[in-house]
Amino acid sequence: MTAAPMTVRICYLYPRLLSVAGDRGNLFALMQRCAWRGIRYSVTEADAGVVPDFAEADLILLHGGQDREMTAAAQDLAAKSGPLREAIESDAVVLAVCAGYQLLGRYYAPPEGPPIHGLGVLDVVTEGGPKRFIGHVAVHCDLSPGRQHQLAGFENHSGRTYLGGNVRPLGRVLAGSGNNGEDGTEGARYREVYATYLHGPVLPKNPWLADHLLSRALAHRYQDVSPLAPLTDRAEVQAHGAALRLARRPAGRWRAAAAAVSRIGPPARMPATRPDRGASTTDKATGWTSR
Amino acid sequence: MRVVASPTAAASGEGSAPLPPSAQARLALALAAGKAAETASRFLRAGGGTSFPGTVARWIDPHILRKVAAASDAGKVVVTGSNGKTTTCRMLAALAQASGLAVTQNRSGSNLLQGVISAAVRGADLRGRMDAQLLLLEVDEATVRQVNPAVRPDTFLVTNIFRDQLDRFGELYSMAKGIEDVIEALPASATVVLNGDDPLVASLAPAARARRLYFGVQADSAGLPEPEHAADTIRCVRCQHPLSYRAVYLSHLGDYWCPECHSARPALDVAVTEVRSSPEAGSTITVQTPQGAFPLDVPLAGLHNVYNAAAALSCAIALALPRPLEPAGARAALARLRPAFGRLEEIQAGDRRVVLAFVKNPTSYNATMREVLQRPGRKHVLAAHSNTVVDGEDFAWLWDVDLEQLVPQLASLTVSGTRAEEVMLRFKYAGAEPGSTLVIHDRAAALRAALTRTPPGESLYIFAGYTPMRELRSIMQRHAWVPPFWEE
Repeated sequence: MTAAPMTVRICYLYPRLLSVAGDRGNLFALMQRCAWRGIRYSVTEADAGVVPDFAEADLILLHGGQDREMTAAAQDLAAKSGPLREAIESDAVVLAVCAGYQLLGRYYAPPEGPPIHGLGVLDVVTEGGPKRFIGHVAVHCDLSPGRQHQLAGFENHSGRTYLGGNVRPLGRVLAGSGNNGEDGTEGARYREVYATYLHGPVLPKNPWLADHLLSRALAHRYQDVSPLAPLTDRAEVQAHGAALRLARRPAGRWRAAAAAVSRIGPPARMPATRPDRGASTTDKATGWTSR
Repeated sequence: MRVVASPTAAASGEGSAPLPPSAQARLALALAAGKAAETASRFLRAGGGTSFPGTVARWIDPHILRKVAAASDAGKVVVTGSNGKTTTCRMLAALAQASGLAVTQNRSGSNLLQGVISAAVRGADLRGRMDAQLLLLEVDEATVRQVNPAVRPDTFLVTNIFRDQLDRFGELYSMAKGIEDVIEALPASATVVLNGDDPLVASLAPAARARRLYFGVQADSAGLPEPEHAADTIRCVRCQHPLSYRAVYLSHLGDYWCPECHSARPALDVAVTEVRSSPEAGSTITVQTPQGAFPLDVPLAGLHNVYNAAAALSCAIALALPRPLEPAGARAALARLRPAFGRLEEIQAGDRRVVLAFVKNPTSYNATMREVLQRPGRKHVLAAHSNTVVDGEDFAWLWDVDLEQLVPQLASLTVSGTRAEEVMLRFKYAGAEPGSTLVIHDRAAALRAALTRTPPGESLYIFAGYTPMRELRSIMQRHAWVPPFWEE
């Protein structure tokens, strides 16, 4: 153990713009789990128009938003793209949720309007689909050999994300729909980027993932980091168990089974080219037409 | 300006085409079955029959709502929006009754299709005729798409749009789009009453034929410095640029303008120009209307109830109700109002008091919590949420509630409901001590435990979602601490 207290530098992107489903709970989880262990932390908020010093960030949070807010965030992200990409390539830890996940990919083609270009740091593309995936999700994760976990949360998205060759899925769907409801994958990983569709928010009820991110963030800044001190996670474990039970109710298992049946065909692939935007893909669920 | 039909016209059913005999017979059967279901569910104490009669009646006659509404010359008001529907309807009913109108309404906040039809079943005789001169319906934001074409309201109110059950409505904007379609379908003779202070609501259906009436607040003393965390629509609906506010009153409600495209809050037809409030007694306000300015007492605490009063008054103006717009009439009608059940309802529970607060989204939770925090002393709290069709499955929104403000004032905390673990977790990360928090799923046992932890003479504050609130209230009703909610 190093003598001086360690500090995790958290960069919280778009706290106002991309914050729709209680995702700030992820920040609360990281802050509290540092505080309970005597680890110092700093939080830099960067909304639209502000380019933070990404080189100083150990852990970057990028959350969900609705199509409109996502469009605004995508425009702003273009101004942040260089330093953010550099930070990711030098193994800064990133948690990206829902729209934040889609924004790190190549593009998101909403049901109406032009495609939204992402950072392209994740080799994934997202297509708007005819129906929303809404419900509890359970995911089997295998972050490092011998450390298997279940991730529990709630998904609410119409985008279908397809993984390219340079990313791994975050896990395999046990119940729920995941990336696209077809190939059984959920989320994406690249270097220290962890992207997921799971709200809930995901970190408080999956403390193992919160701690994984924290220890990777510490490793990003410090040499020779000892394992994190264990915490009394009784409330977390109970909430995690309850969320898993909800996901594993028949409805959730049925959705995962339906996806498994559809997998019997050829595997879901990334669309080779961007689809013709003139094609009529109407989505009643997200159909706020821009006027 | 239209005048609400006279009682004789409504009773004789003038102006409605007679139904063919088979359709009339089916309607009569549906109404009879619905009424029987209502009697049965009351007899069995199965919840007062606020939605079951509608389920039965609609099963027999899917067009029952359309038929009953078409047969009546009553004024018809549909109220939708995220927050304030129930209280606004109670205020409007009080104003209407002060004008001598009989009102049929879904008073218990049962605002899905079955609840709306149950109200129609209760209000109509077996021929489908209603005695009431005002049909007043509060309707869930997603259900207006079904209710409005059947009821054809003359006045349609949108109170506000906050994030509320995104798991049911998909995205906020898709829900707004549904409401917009409904407004566009209104005829030119109808009035749409909109919250001018809500940027999303004010911008709905700008080209609609219906007359528009905007209400809002224009009182500097009531403003907050900036939008709170849970604020939703803070970007310009037209050009996406972040909005600037001259004043923020509640969440994203306020006097806003866009520095980019120069769109701004519309001119208010009904404006609250002065607010003097006290945590216990409610607010005294001054309202500017097309008929002039007058003072009004809102007996329910909180700025959200000032908005509700302005909304109710705007509907009364749209309906051209005669007496409430005489200041004395409105004052007297509103002053008698008590909180709707579960809206910071004060209940004497033996030698303790219970304050029952129904919370369903970050805005209503924050507003209610702020009222509670103004009261002195540390608080004994019971927090309960359950996943149900009404309450939704996703409780991520609890993390948008500023519970960090409540935790330092906690004297004891008990959590309950089928999602008790989620509630516990949220309070833990807000700083509550997990070791001294009780997690009791069963509502009756939780209430017992929470009351035991509350010393005699003190208050237990209950923050609960719709279903656990109803369950806790019916437990208290069995103790005869409160009247049944359908007798409210």
